Amino acid sequence: MKPAGGGHPPSPPQRRRFPWLSWLGFAGACLVPLLGLNAYHVEVLTSAGIFVLLALGLNLVVGFTGLLHLGYAAFFAIGAYTYGLLNLHWHVPFWGGLVPSAVVAGLCGVALGIPVMRVRGDYLAIVTLGFGEIVRLTFTNLEQWTGGPNGLLGIAHPVGWLPGRGWYDFGVDSLPYYYLVAAAVALVATACWRLADSRIGRAWMAIREDELAASCAGIPAVHLKLLAQGCGAAIAGVAGAIFAAKQGTITPDSFDFILSVMLLAMVVFGGLGSIVGVMVGALILGALPEVMRGLDQYRMLLFGVVMILMVRWRPQGLLGGPQIRRELTRG
Amino acid sequence: MTPFQVFLQQLANGLTIGSIYALIALGYTMVYGVIQLINFAHGEVFMVGAYVGLSACLWLGLEGVAPGGAMAWGFVGVVGASILGCALLGLAVERLAYRPLRRAPRLTALITAIGLSFFLQNAVMLVYGATDRRFPALVPSVRWNLGGATVTTLQLVIWAAAGLMMAGLQVLVMRTRLGKAMRATAQDPTACWLLGIPVDRIISVTFAIGSSLAAVGGVLFGLYYHTVNFHDGYLIGLKAFTAAVLGGIGNIPGAMVGGLLLGVLETLGAGYLSAQWKHVFAFVVLVVLLLFKPTGLLGERVADRA
Amino acid sequence: MAVGALFAAATGCGPREPVVKIGFVSPLTGDQASPGQDLLKGAQLAIAQAQAEGPILPGYRLELVALDDQRSPTQAVAAAKKLVSDPDVLAVVGHLNSSCTMPASAIYHQGRLLQISPVSSNPQISRQGFDTFYRTCATDDLQGPAAARFAVKELAARTVVILDDMTTYGRGLANEFEKELTALGGRVLMHEGITQGDKDFTPLLTKIKSLQPDLLYFAGMFPEGALLIRQRYDLGVGGHFLGGDGLYDPTLILLATPQAADGIYATTIGADIRQVPTAQEFVKAYEAAYGPVGAYSAYAYEAARLVLWAIKTAGRKDRQAVLAAMKTLTDYPGVFGRQSFDERGDSRIRDIGLFTVRDGRFVFLKTVSVE
Repeated sequence: MKPAGGGHPPSPPQRRRFPWLSWLGFAGACLVPLLGLNAYHVEVLTSAGIFVLLALGLNLVVGFTGLLHLGYAAFFAIGAYTYGLLNLHWHVPFWGGLVPSAVVAGLCGVALGIPVMRVRGDYLAIVTLGFGEIVRLTFTNLEQWTGGPNGLLGIAHPVGWLPGRGWYDFGVDSLPYYYLVAAAVALVATACWRLADSRIGRAWMAIREDELAASCAGIPAVHLKLLAQGCGAAIAGVAGAIFAAKQGTITPDSFDFILSVMLLAMVVFGGLGSIVGVMVGALILGALPEVMRGLDQYRMLLFGVVMILMVRWRPQGLLGGPQIRRELTRG
Repeated sequence: MTPFQVFLQQLANGLTIGSIYALIALGYTMVYGVIQLINFAHGEVFMVGAYVGLSACLWLGLEGVAPGGAMAWGFVGVVGASILGCALLGLAVERLAYRPLRRAPRLTALITAIGLSFFLQNAVMLVYGATDRRFPALVPSVRWNLGGATVTTLQLVIWAAAGLMMAGLQVLVMRTRLGKAMRATAQDPTACWLLGIPVDRIISVTFAIGSSLAAVGGVLFGLYYHTVNFHDGYLIGLKAFTAAVLGGIGNIPGAMVGGLLLGVLETLGAGYLSAQWKHVFAFVVLVVLLLFKPTGLLGERVADRA
Repeated sequence: MAVGALFAAATGCGPREPVVKIGFVSPLTGDQASPGQDLLKGAQLAIAQAQAEGPILPGYRLELVALDDQRSPTQAVAAAKKLVSDPDVLAVVGHLNSSCTMPASAIYHQGRLLQISPVSSNPQISRQGFDTFYRTCATDDLQGPAAARFAVKELAARTVVILDDMTTYGRGLANEFEKELTALGGRVLMHEGITQGDKDFTPLLTKIKSLQPDLLYFAGMFPEGALLIRQRYDLGVGGHFLGGDGLYDPTLILLATPQAADGIYATTIGADIRQVPTAQEFVKAYEAAYGPVGAYSAYAYEAARLVLWAIKTAGRKDRQAVLAAMKTLTDYPGVFGRQSFDERGDSRIRDIGLFTVRDGRFVFLKTVSVE
């Protein structure tokens, strides 16, 4: 491999990044349930945490590498179904299903990446949109394997071990899932930080800034783009397995186009490429509909208004970096 | 029915839904052509168009009107009201939601579009209720026999309306000063602004025209299926968007070709292979076409970046 | 911490006054808002009537907490946890979709919260062995076979095309219909799914027209049903049309137009709602308050009244006592007749009603009992 670092465009001044921040954040997150939140609050935070996980994965693809992806929910679905099917047919436990879910989703990400290599920009968005819909509809239609619209029922919850308590089933309690998701977020966020500072991460950003220049400078753009899509999809696969284990039931309509668009909105609202920003964006957009649940019929109306106002307030995203702002502004 | 008659019937079915896709696809394509914005809320504008038409029907008292002059004028009035309502909506959407973001990162507008979709859908649901509403018949339902296929008057009206709109739009864009200004804005808004072309107004007009076409689509849709629902914008909007991309987004004849092609392929797929997989066909066609022709059927290269 | 503050703001921490809450969950926004809101109105009517009668427990105010699950299982679970976490909630009416009721029922079971689902008819839900779960509708394995027997024995249908809307409800019902139909010697020419929210069924109906079946069976809801009936009429497709309880809604005839809907058949769960004396009162009260009765409104009304009965019988604000009270219920004078439940929580009312459309109205034909 030719040196990738040498020729990429003058990069913004290297900011110091703080991997320990994610551990601090994790420790903080562990303390949150002690604030006297009830099971519902923990559940909402857990669901929002799954969104954070997904947004981090999508950020690798869209934020770091600049590939507009509108079918990301498909990988989430693939991860969830992989664990669900492994568990129902071969009684694979959650911890054993986690890795296959990530691998299968990651391979699907690469497999989708190869044919769409020629397709660019907004057309890429549409191809991925089509892919997302095809995956969802296929899960709906292949009734003999996926249970069709009924989905998969009775997927096993994870089993954990705690000193003093021994082996126990997570069941439908929210708390163990909360810690599981918090740990997964901390791990993925750390990995993202390390990636962003690594040669691979810088090469991704070089591709995002100017693919032609990057490949002229010896960056193997094709491989790196596939890598980004594979990694992003694998993270979604992990999130999918956790989701399936938490719910116990998965149906294809949990993975629709709206979810893909919402995830993209989280990444954009948080600030493309900014790891903390994306996490905050996902937390806000993920928890907001839940916070507004009491408004029953008016909920989605007001949620729409809030979304419009939020981007007027911060069009560049909550924590969008200056180089990204420059890059994404036209003209 | 002979197999050939079945085929003709399916073709007629496909051309009808395809015409409606095409009318909506034009709105996507025009806005994209001028400011490279995928206006995901456009499907909702179409749905609002259908509801405005419904309100006009009820207000004009056209429920159960007998065929004849009153019906014809009623039809014109309903389409006119719907066009007016949607054009105003389009202008408002552009002015209030998108214009403040013109200098913002391109993807930001995506969030606004989703927010708008949620807002419009739920606003219509709260005003008109969540249940499907019946759309009164404004076109006499006479059945014609075209080589063994049954075609209603309404289908002929839909084909004619889509064809006329398309031709009119093509003339407008290629032969008028306004069209020239639109094409110029699409190429380089800054240069246009320097040359004294009122870029903001051109963009507003583009939104208004696109929304008017969606309004016509909405009324025809309501007439053809007899029912409207606040959720109709989602699936039809997604399909119309697919059609716009299929034809090459930003290209006006492309939207027409894409819409008709999508309608026909989807119908033939549903009729000959499996209805359950109908929506899969639409997307498989799209994906396969873009893999071989990455810019759509008649499209040119577009924005390369996320 | 900011999130915690937000929650506090959203849930509202006003001065505490003694209140008894009944939870309600169904899709109130999104593509299934229409049936979801029909359910809500049914439950609201029951609550309003109870409030008018005086306090349900001495000194307590009665309140309905309506939550939206957008027919998403994820949101259903969140809503269920919200209700379980609120100590004032004593029972739940909901959810609409079987796919939502399934995961949510596990949470109610853990929280010892009585749940009565109005319309989730997937048989598997009540086979999880949860003592907290009841439902006021018949399961799909009753209605489908009854419809098949009617089709073969009385309509003399030999060749049949089956359509369903690919939902838990529609697919389940269609499969039960198909099973019984083939057992009775009927021939299924085609079994296909349609998408909820789709409008254009002409390709499918054109194909069906060329197959010339004796009967077209549709398991799904009335918006798609109305379009199928109307487009079938426009294309001149012959044969009978039979559907499940999802079609039994006056709006169907309005949307499809009376001439297109004339002569179609629909099965319903329970006898004719317009002929049962208790139902008469319900129909009158509902129409006065909200307009025409939706297909499912009565089930939610029934579920809410049962919940109220259980709370009243328990006599104190205690979930366990409410559950125990519910167990003692027999021969409750419900909307559909004398209501009681089997050990799984399924309703013992297993009559299937049969209707046809004549002159723009649903006309009751007869009751088919299920063996």
